[in-house]
Amino acid sequence: MFSKNKAAVPSGKNIETIIGPSVKVEGDFKGEGDLVVEGIVQGSLQTKNNLKIGQNALVEANINANNAFISGKVKGNIIVKGKVEITGTGIVLGNIKAQIISIESGALIKGDLNMPVGNIAIAEPKPELKREDLKEDK
Amino acid sequence: MYLYIYDSFLNDKKYADLLIKIEKRLTDLGIKGKIARLSILKNMKEMITDGVKEGVETVVAIGNAQTFAKVINVVADLDVALGLIPVNNDDEIAKILGIPPKVMACDVLASRIIKRIDLGKINNYYFVNTAQIENGNVTIEYKDFKISPITEKSKITLYNFASGIANSSPVDGVLEAVITPIKSSIFGKKKIEETVLPFTKIKIGSQAEEQVAILTDEQIIMKTPAEITVAPAKLKIIVGSDRRFE
Repeated sequence: MFSKNKAAVPSGKNIETIIGPSVKVEGDFKGEGDLVVEGIVQGSLQTKNNLKIGQNALVEANINANNAFISGKVKGNIIVKGKVEITGTGIVLGNIKAQIISIESGALIKGDLNMPVGNIAIAEPKPELKREDLKEDK
Repeated sequence: MYLYIYDSFLNDKKYADLLIKIEKRLTDLGIKGKIARLSILKNMKEMITDGVKEGVETVVAIGNAQTFAKVINVVADLDVALGLIPVNNDDEIAKILGIPPKVMACDVLASRIIKRIDLGKINNYYFVNTAQIENGNVTIEYKDFKISPITEKSKITLYNFASGIANSSPVDGVLEAVITPIKSSIFGKKKIEETVLPFTKIKIGSQAEEQVAILTDEQIIMKTPAEITVAPAKLKIIVGSDRRFE
């Protein structure tokens, strides 16, 4: 579990909430600990810790988490403090905002990707000095 | 001062030898106290509240899981420590608390390791370990969301202490709801992945017309709709060093 994302991933012992494949959650889910979703969620999902959405999960919700690992289907916007990892089976219909975004080949995303990186100025390449200029300097 | 409550079934002759051995060991350990034997005519609540008025600080229940369930519901609201002496070898609550069966439990009492543990409360009834719904068409309502099983059959267990779940402890101030789907096939029942949700307060309702039974680990039957809450650090209890929690 979470094995592909070791920096973001908790050990198995930290897992507190598991929404299994046999249940449907409706409403605004708020959790403190790690959250694993294998079933259906409609509403919103929020956890202060890590979130894993399994391959067969269907989430129609806006997501807010510390880190997220997505293998299932998500319809909603995703805001993550740390890293979002979307595997080859993941489908996201919504915008993603995270510090680090990792997308595996095969994943489907329809939405904007936003990485808040501050003011980055892309410097123009400096022109190379000519030999003549070097000679003049001497 | 100790008050020893003997459950009514211990009046049976087959327990006479065991009770003598227990009493002898308690005397050896210097923790002998007042003995109260339950019967149809003697009410446990009255016995314990009278004992507390007389200065009892430790109530010890001798019996089985049902005895402990009854005692817990009386002493939870009193300022006394509870001790248990199980007369059966397979008492689950005693195992969690690290209390060995029969005479060996006396030594645990004498060592007096006291912990404050959480209790689950279903409507107005306390439970120490689990409450269970077998195959019920129910909805679990949290404050901001609700959960319903989408499989035909499932078992819902509310744990104070679940040995298979990481971080589950009777001293953490939360309970866990575990939904286990049961899929029947020609090869028998097949379990698929569970749902595990910690909670401090939930409501369980039923979509069916009939009320659904909720069975506590002590075989007390409650009916839906029910409100289940955690009563944190509610019970002062004497535990053994082999207990299954910190």
